[in-house]
Amino acid sequence: MTGRGTPSRFLTAVLHNGVGRYVRQLQRLQLVFSPTAPDARGARQFVEEAALDFARRHPGVVLYVSPRPCPAPLLLAEYLNGTVREELVASKNGEEIARLAAKLADQSGLDIIRIRKPFHTANPSVQGQWHPFTNKPSALTVRGPRLPPQ
Amino acid sequence: MATRLILRAARRLLAGAGAGAGAGTGVGRGAHATPPRRDKKRWLRAYLEQQRLRAPPQRRSEKPNWDYHAEVQAFSHRLHENFSLDLLKTAFVNSCYIKAEEARRQGLGLDKEAVALNLQDNTKLSEQGESFSRSYLTQCFEGAYPNLPAKGIGALVDFLNSQELVSYVAQNLSIQDLTLCAEFPVPPNVLQRTFFAVIGALLDSSGPEKTGIFVRDFLIPQLIGKDLFEIWEVINPMGLLVEELTKRNISSPEPRITRQSGVNTVLPVYFVGLYCDKKIIAEGPGETLLAAEEEAARVALRKLYGYTENRRPWDYSKPKQGWAVEKAISSN
Repeated sequence: MTGRGTPSRFLTAVLHNGVGRYVRQLQRLQLVFSPTAPDARGARQFVEEAALDFARRHPGVVLYVSPRPCPAPLLLAEYLNGTVREELVASKNGEEIARLAAKLADQSGLDIIRIRKPFHTANPSVQGQWHPFTNKPSALTVRGPRLPPQ
Repeated sequence: MATRLILRAARRLLAGAGAGAGAGTGVGRGAHATPPRRDKKRWLRAYLEQQRLRAPPQRRSEKPNWDYHAEVQAFSHRLHENFSLDLLKTAFVNSCYIKAEEARRQGLGLDKEAVALNLQDNTKLSEQGESFSRSYLTQCFEGAYPNLPAKGIGALVDFLNSQELVSYVAQNLSIQDLTLCAEFPVPPNVLQRTFFAVIGALLDSSGPEKTGIFVRDFLIPQLIGKDLFEIWEVINPMGLLVEELTKRNISSPEPRITRQSGVNTVLPVYFVGLYCDKKIIAEGPGETLLAAEEEAARVALRKLYGYTENRRPWDYSKPKQGWAVEKAISSN
């Protein structure tokens, strides 16, 4: 796909986050896993070893752990702007899941698509937009006769 | 191919008869159990996905995994504020919720003592929060833009406290999940009231200084990228400019065409400059002479009020604005 064909957006933050204060955008993390399935072994390991640390490190995130029979273990991340992301954690070990959870906690919930430029500004030009009259004399300036060079 | 199809159909018919018999008698199920389907149900995934998309939106509190206390606590941690949790929970209770809930209980046939919810609604907190936010923002703008007239400051404050903007902010702080409201989705006026109630709760639990910073951090960034006259509608900028200039004892402005191009085409452009005492104070472009003159007047007003596009950005560092807060309280 060419650059024009892929979806893209500008660099933004929800509610100009970080201008006033930083608000972590992940509001809820659910870990759904089967208590017996072999591919949920890493999820169970995460619950035993790293879940408490994660919750302690991120007091603004509500972590729900629900052991129930399900086809595959899932991490469900809900963000403040309403985005819900599902991450499959089948056959991942506890450390990998912890890393994934930390990554989800650092994201903003905006679409993960190509960002057009790594910077963005609301005021593209401080001096003012260029127009054909920029740096040209105004019509009111009276021009005298052109003097021959001396 | 055809024979195989016929065979399969016959097997299914037989299996159906066997299952029926098994259910009827309750014995011999093992002998007549339906054989496992050999084809993959390709339609199932698509059907389930369609059903999921068609389902009406649900409140977050009706979905699995919802702990209201933990959510409220996380809300206060997320905003880096020390709310008193009782006050914060009160701030999320709307009067419409209490009414609807009591009516529901009455409909279930409970007696009168059981019907009453004994909940306090957020009316008082939201009034408190709104008046605080208004007075604080007014103080802030008066300090930051001393040349802006009271009408302009009023327009800025109205814009920042408008239902549209406040409900947008509240939605992006996910207040609509936490607020208790009769309707779903939560209407913007209820969201606005709840956001002000949260401000009121913060005012009661952490004092005015922290609340001021809260209001500043969440409302003032919304002014980024907005023009003064997008927010403050001035119908006759030239008249306002003449008024302002006479106040400052400057002679009234003279408009002059400074540049023009394509006058006889469908896309002409004129640049009009405004001169006071033969000195240019502003220049603005436009498609007609009148539009250009109006634009020039707006440019001049922006310069006079100190609200140009290239103004210094708002200072979000830790404040020494004790005076603003004190004044905001005294005017409360």
